[in-house]
Amino acid sequence: MRFRIYRYDPESGAAPRVQEYELDFDAKGKKVLDALIAIKDTLDETLSFRRSCREGVCGSDGVNVNGNNVLACVTPLEGLKQPIEIRPLPRLGVIRDLIVDMAQFYQHYRAVKPYLINLDPEPENERPQSPQQRAELDGLWECILCGCCTTSCPSFWWNPDKFLGPAALLQGYRFIADTRDQATDERLDFLEDPYRLFRCHGIMNCVEVCPKGLNPTAAIGKIKSLLVKRAL
Amino acid sequence: MRRVGGSHRGLDMWLMQRASAVYMALFLPFFLVCALAAGPLDYAAWHGLFASPAMKVATFLFVAAMLAHAWIGLREIFIDYLHCARCTLLRLALYFAFAVLYLGCLVWTVDILWNVR
Repeated sequence: MRFRIYRYDPESGAAPRVQEYELDFDAKGKKVLDALIAIKDTLDETLSFRRSCREGVCGSDGVNVNGNNVLACVTPLEGLKQPIEIRPLPRLGVIRDLIVDMAQFYQHYRAVKPYLINLDPEPENERPQSPQQRAELDGLWECILCGCCTTSCPSFWWNPDKFLGPAALLQGYRFIADTRDQATDERLDFLEDPYRLFRCHGIMNCVEVCPKGLNPTAAIGKIKSLLVKRAL
Repeated sequence: MRRVGGSHRGLDMWLMQRASAVYMALFLPFFLVCALAAGPLDYAAWHGLFASPAMKVATFLFVAAMLAHAWIGLREIFIDYLHCARCTLLRLALYFAFAVLYLGCLVWTVDILWNVR
């Protein structure tokens, strides 16, 4: 199998380049991450990439494969056009090879206060929800923060420092939708901004790439509806 | 200066964009039907089409919606793509220039429509 992989080592002083690899590999049933590990094991031990759980749970191996942001560990090799071109996630700074600097991404995530804000005295056991109230959170809590959606969003490319991006907005809505949270108004206040929220033009790149099948555009739409309801 | 945000703006623009789109989507088919019903597209039919005050007002609202829609769309494009060091001033100047241009178009529309007697 033929691969073209983005290589960059800032310590070497050399410019980023694309390196070709020819790997003798049976692709049947294998994922992109298996090929990356095989290349590192047999061809080039200097190739750097992140991976941890290797089964689509931890979200650390987001890469751009043939132009699409994917999790390498759950993307089948079969059916990919060769040479398979693997690049780091777009728009984030490259630390080395396929490893990107997620600082900006996490900063936006922290900015939406991704935790329950409830000023009531702590209950003895738990804060109960009805099954319907709990169902509101489905499609929101599953996000693994891999960054595939945010780095596929042109609005994030143009305003990465100001637009929160689909992942952070999905998480923002996850706590707005939570009946146990009492800071809905403050959360909406924070989001009501031409940059933070309204850079989203609803082109749905995020929905297309999300490896967990989530729909950040729908969550963003619900935030906008809540803002409208609040304003009227 | 630290980056600031949360200006509590954007919702009004976003709503206006939707509202103007809905009006245009409703008006255009309505206008098409009226134009076809008015008979052959000669000067007399076209003139008669715009003779009633209702059609004047509806067309005026359509042009107003279109210009508002266009202005907000341009604003989005400027915010998306113009962010150099001095671009705040450039954006402000562009917003203002297009607002003046489009308001002029609106006044001109009034002049055209209400000259049809």
